[in-house]
Amino acid sequence: MALGLVGRPSFSFAKEEYDLAVISGEPVAATKKALEAMGGISRFVKRGQRVVLKPNMSFARTPDFSATTHPLVVATVAQACVEAGSPQVLVIDHTLHRAELCLERTGIRDACKNISGVHVLALQEREFFREVKVPKGKVLESAEVVKEILDGHILINIPVAKSHSATGVSLGMKGLMGLVWDRESFHSRFNINQAIADLGTVIRPQLTILDATRALVSGGPGGPGEVKKPNLIIAGTDPVAVDSYGVSIVPWYGQNFKGRQVEHLLAAYQKGLGKIDIDQLKVFREKV
Amino acid sequence: MRKIIQGLSLLLFSAFFVLATYKLPNWLPADIYLRLDPLLGLNAVFAAREIIGRALWALVTIGSTLVIGRFFCAYVCPMGVSIDFLDFLFFRKKKRLGLKTETGLRRMKYFLLVIFIVAALTGLSLAFLMDPMSLLTRFYTFFIFPLALTLINLLLDLLRPLFEALGWVVLSHQHYFQSVYYMTAITLLVFGGIIVLNRVVPRFWCRHLCPLGALLSLISPLGVFKRRVNEDCNECLKCQKTCPMGAILEDPRKTRLPECIQCRTCAKVCPQNAVTFPASLSLGGEYSKVDFSRRGFLYSLAGGLGVGFLALRTPFALKQSKHPLIRPPGAIPETEFLRTCIRCGECMKSCLTNTLQPCLWESGFSGLWTPKMDPRLAPCDQNCNVCGKVCPTQAIRSLSLEEKTHAKVGTAVLRKEMCLVWAQNKICLICDEICPYNAIVFRPVEGYRRPVVVASKCNGCGFCEQRCPVQGESAIVVVPNGEIRLKDGSYIKEAKKLELEFKPDPGDDKFILEESGFKVEERKKGEGSVTPKEKPQPKKPKGFL
Repeated sequence: MALGLVGRPSFSFAKEEYDLAVISGEPVAATKKALEAMGGISRFVKRGQRVVLKPNMSFARTPDFSATTHPLVVATVAQACVEAGSPQVLVIDHTLHRAELCLERTGIRDACKNISGVHVLALQEREFFREVKVPKGKVLESAEVVKEILDGHILINIPVAKSHSATGVSLGMKGLMGLVWDRESFHSRFNINQAIADLGTVIRPQLTILDATRALVSGGPGGPGEVKKPNLIIAGTDPVAVDSYGVSIVPWYGQNFKGRQVEHLLAAYQKGLGKIDIDQLKVFREKV
Repeated sequence: MRKIIQGLSLLLFSAFFVLATYKLPNWLPADIYLRLDPLLGLNAVFAAREIIGRALWALVTIGSTLVIGRFFCAYVCPMGVSIDFLDFLFFRKKKRLGLKTETGLRRMKYFLLVIFIVAALTGLSLAFLMDPMSLLTRFYTFFIFPLALTLINLLLDLLRPLFEALGWVVLSHQHYFQSVYYMTAITLLVFGGIIVLNRVVPRFWCRHLCPLGALLSLISPLGVFKRRVNEDCNECLKCQKTCPMGAILEDPRKTRLPECIQCRTCAKVCPQNAVTFPASLSLGGEYSKVDFSRRGFLYSLAGGLGVGFLALRTPFALKQSKHPLIRPPGAIPETEFLRTCIRCGECMKSCLTNTLQPCLWESGFSGLWTPKMDPRLAPCDQNCNVCGKVCPTQAIRSLSLEEKTHAKVGTAVLRKEMCLVWAQNKICLICDEICPYNAIVFRPVEGYRRPVVVASKCNGCGFCEQRCPVQGESAIVVVPNGEIRLKDGSYIKEAKKLELEFKPDPGDDKFILEESGFKVEERKKGEGSVTPKEKPQPKKPKGFL
């Protein structure tokens, strides 16, 4: 509920408004450039504001499997938040594999350990989640989500680009399921694609930074599978637009798709969560 | 002094116990106390009928006992420390019930020792029942460890508001994974029983029952240090009353050498300072004091053979090659496994995911407390190989991660009548999603893409069984079929020989996609076969429109 109220920061000060920043390059440089292109991290994180970063670190896999967000992308964003004056940056995921292993294997805890004020947490206990109603949900009526995002923390989603055996792709929208306690019911009780769109009406990240430095184009979400290297960071405030662009950058399972062809993205678009046609987006492109 | 050494020993035992996790470095022998135990060593060597490398550590204990005497019980044995400590806590001020005919009961431990050794010779590992090291490790695993986790988490929960107020982020989100085990209650009862026996006499267990104590007492009179009482003795009998082992005879100048554990309590309490423990090389005539009747020996001999017969001549033994249990990866062939495993529970304690659980009767009496995997509860993690690392008798072999991956524990079998996809045409791909080896693929059947297990890629880790969303029993279960159990040699080689491939194949999903969908459907149409009545065959991977 609190998240809904926070809304998105206005674009007023940006000279030219871009929907997306698509930067090609090495993880650190590209992430920095993407943040800059989106108006700088200070557009999203004000001094004193606490931040939740939501990478994908759900699997105890090393970064080369591309099942988890690149640790350097996470660390770069975390560093930027701290520099913007955030006293507390929590890197949070509700992991599928054992928490300790995920923290260890993904390299994300290591990458962030020297940044003061940044804490990497893998949560696997219900007490760290709180129920939120989903008034606009079609199938999802309520969900238990990570407490902090209900308590006014800024939310920045940092998903990895990967295929998913149930939802086609797992990018930003699907990644938000990692803030939910009961994921099983998404798979067994609901139409998972609709449930993801419903969840998107209550969890609204201020910024989505899609790590497409590598993309797991088959065998997702856990891998192992085919890893391609698009070398891209895609950032934007519109979660549907970021994902939709992410769908277009590589063939998934050997086929080219558009955002509209991804069921959960289409459902999110129909819920009014963002733009889905990428040719109508203003995209800032650069190679660093 | 003795209390400090005892305390340190228990601390060390506990520290090794705590350190037995998947992070255990290869050089650290977390199972050292169990390795040092000569009874467990003898038991495993006799039952398995071969020399076990790690059991040779027990020679250290044997050697030092030969030199010093039965000091192990008083200074090292963590069970002894626990008994002493809990005795101090509960029974210090209580009047003991006492025993009238002490000597008769004392023989019990020798009878038990003979029973265990004879049972081991028949191929039955039985010493675990009463071996103090095995008993205590088991008690730690099944009771102390889960209890400690509960208490720590409770404390964390209580202090959470404080941590939050202080802004201690990590602590305020700290929560330890709660391991749970079957048979916690039984284990507690056994240990509790041992402690309660102190109500009768101190160290009742050590005096009368402990088979390891019996083994050590047989060689301890050879030790160098022996109790000696000089002429200052005024026969006040203080030493005799305080001796925790009852090792001092009616004549306080005489000692039951096999029973003396060199704790030197007698020297401390003697008002005359008449008791010393000088080094002496004389063997002394006290060997005859080992109270052991010929009849008792024969009875226990018969007992060992009898137990061996009862436990081994059962249909369970005949079915060992078809046993229904999923054993830990690297477990040696079932018969040898049962003979070698000493049921200490160390593997179950260290198991990263908590999938290893003790057996009750699943494989008969001879399988009591042996570890099995419970995949519905938790899977076996591919980044962990600790169960073998901590196994003191190598009933579970210590394997590199690569080798362990190839130590196939079984094969997943899909029960189509329960599977949401097969039986109800629902969209569910959790088993495929979670499988670390891409051993589950989707094939078009009757117009639907349905999960199929590729047996040659499945190593039985159980992720699918654990995650299957079907209520109650899983629709996909791991069965021991296809398990690889090797006594020695490489699992990788064996797996290659069997044409198994646990290395993930990245191209597989793509292959399935291209091979599925269109082609099959079009071929069907061409043949004029019946098109599915329900939804048409999806032409794209799941989630795409």
